[in-house]
Amino acid sequence: MAMGRNSRRIMGLTGHYAGLIAFAIFTAFPLWWAASVGLSTNPENMYSFPRSFWPTEPGLLWFAKVFTDMPFLTYLKNSTIMAVMTVVGVVIVSVLAGYPLARLKFVGSKTIFVIIILTMMLPSEVAMIPNFITMKHLHLINEYLGATVINFSAAFGIFLMKQAFEMVPQDLIDAARVDGATEMQILWRIMVPVSAPSIAALGIFTLVNAWNDYLWPSIILTSREKLPLAVGVFNDLTGPFATSDSMVMAAIVMTVIPVLVFFAFTQRYFVSGMDGAVK
Amino acid sequence: MRFRTDLCNIKIKLQSSYAVKNTRSYAAIAYLFLAPALILMGVFTFWPVGFNTYLAFQDYSIADGTATWNNFAHFKYIFHEELFWNALKNSLLYLLIVPVIQLGALVLAKLVNNKLPGMTFFRATFYIPVITSISIAGVVWIYVYKYDGMLTWLLTSLGLLHEQIDWLGEPKIALYMMMIFTFWKGIGYYMVLYLAGLQAIPSEVEEAAVLDGANAWQRFWKITVPMVKPTILLCTLLSTIAAIKVMQEPIVLTKGGKGDTYTALFYVYDQAFRNFNFGRAAAAGLVITFFCVLLAIIQFRFFGEKK
Repeated sequence: MAMGRNSRRIMGLTGHYAGLIAFAIFTAFPLWWAASVGLSTNPENMYSFPRSFWPTEPGLLWFAKVFTDMPFLTYLKNSTIMAVMTVVGVVIVSVLAGYPLARLKFVGSKTIFVIIILTMMLPSEVAMIPNFITMKHLHLINEYLGATVINFSAAFGIFLMKQAFEMVPQDLIDAARVDGATEMQILWRIMVPVSAPSIAALGIFTLVNAWNDYLWPSIILTSREKLPLAVGVFNDLTGPFATSDSMVMAAIVMTVIPVLVFFAFTQRYFVSGMDGAVK
Repeated sequence: MRFRTDLCNIKIKLQSSYAVKNTRSYAAIAYLFLAPALILMGVFTFWPVGFNTYLAFQDYSIADGTATWNNFAHFKYIFHEELFWNALKNSLLYLLIVPVIQLGALVLAKLVNNKLPGMTFFRATFYIPVITSISIAGVVWIYVYKYDGMLTWLLTSLGLLHEQIDWLGEPKIALYMMMIFTFWKGIGYYMVLYLAGLQAIPSEVEEAAVLDGANAWQRFWKITVPMVKPTILLCTLLSTIAAIKVMQEPIVLTKGGKGDTYTALFYVYDQAFRNFNFGRAAAAGLVITFFCVLLAIIQFRFFGEKK
């Protein structure tokens, strides 16, 4: 009896892990293959599967070539600048907007919140055409600001900050008001420090999204020196510079690695940040 | 003691007088704080809706910015164009992915929602596609789908296929191949959302069901699904919107192919930024916005009743 239950448990666990491993292979195989091809100094086995899932004559030849044949460091610099700009913009706008929506009573607060949430329903992609024309008038074509500013005010960030600020105990705010603090001081000295984990989650999400943003930057940035990794590497890989498949894979791996490293260090925020959004 | 009550009274008085005095200045402060968000949304979200509607009825020249009324010409054109209808049909077909990705994500979340060893590793692995840029991931998947690529190899070695297929070049299957890519890219995102929902379920519920002799299948449908229903609704809404708005997949994977992988928004993009016909693109965009809003209303109605 006990044996039966035990063996059934082991069977169940085996099935459980088999499912997990099978799915892990499904999610990881494309990048695994890219890494393996990039690391193979000898590309002859690239299309002989499954041999190509393991590097042939491993070496860093193609990775070195990425630096010499592609403006990889320029792309990296552009990605960094634009991601930081977006994070700063989103956090400032969301924190400022989230506070009154969460804690101040004023005429129209409900309406404004509903309007902000409704923007999630609009196909923002359609707005690309008018936005392109707007950017032309603002002389922001081929500028970092033009590529990032449309993402500063997003319903997701405002919603997340509103949720976070609603959790702050009212006593803290009352005490500060009695002490004569202005609303700006309350926001800066009390709400922001207390909600630091949520702000960090928002910042991390935004950073990853900005880093990976492809479509809008590819439209608005016209010169190669301004392109971020997601656009520059893609163009180089699929356009006239696509000379060697091995170099393509090396470049892909190098583009993904910064995000993976960042993700490894901040993983817990991805679940906790989502947690806040769901509740 | 007396002193303390006094202090309390003062505090209450102060608070109430503050509240009365400042109702109006609160509104001023509130709108001041909201100003950056509202101005940016106004310029980059709401103005485009209006301007797009205007553009849809004009012949617009991007070079000198002149617009001339053209008497519904764009609408007449797209309503007779097979490419546009095909694109619209493909976008609606893309909705097939919603139930698949939701069920998959929920099952996956269930599998990693426990304290067995290695779960952090699996969660991270499943999330990798989400944090990979779509353009970069797309390049690798082009190699997966090449006629002599990984998919052909896999199916051949399983004995299911005896010829080489250019998976993204076959009009009948290319769209479904794009859906598999979307599934791969997005499932981790919904998994994390479901994980947050699942962690709110007390473990006692499931333990009790196990004692009552419920098997895994019964527990999944009778306990897990009902208890994460709010998350399911949210995720379904999100993924429906994402599916109807799909456009980056064709940009990255096929450039639209010969029309077979055009989606509605890809058509808009194609007309605007490759054909430079901003007016026609705006007209098509308006039709799609209409569909999106309609879909959102239907879903809100549907979910509203269920709740």
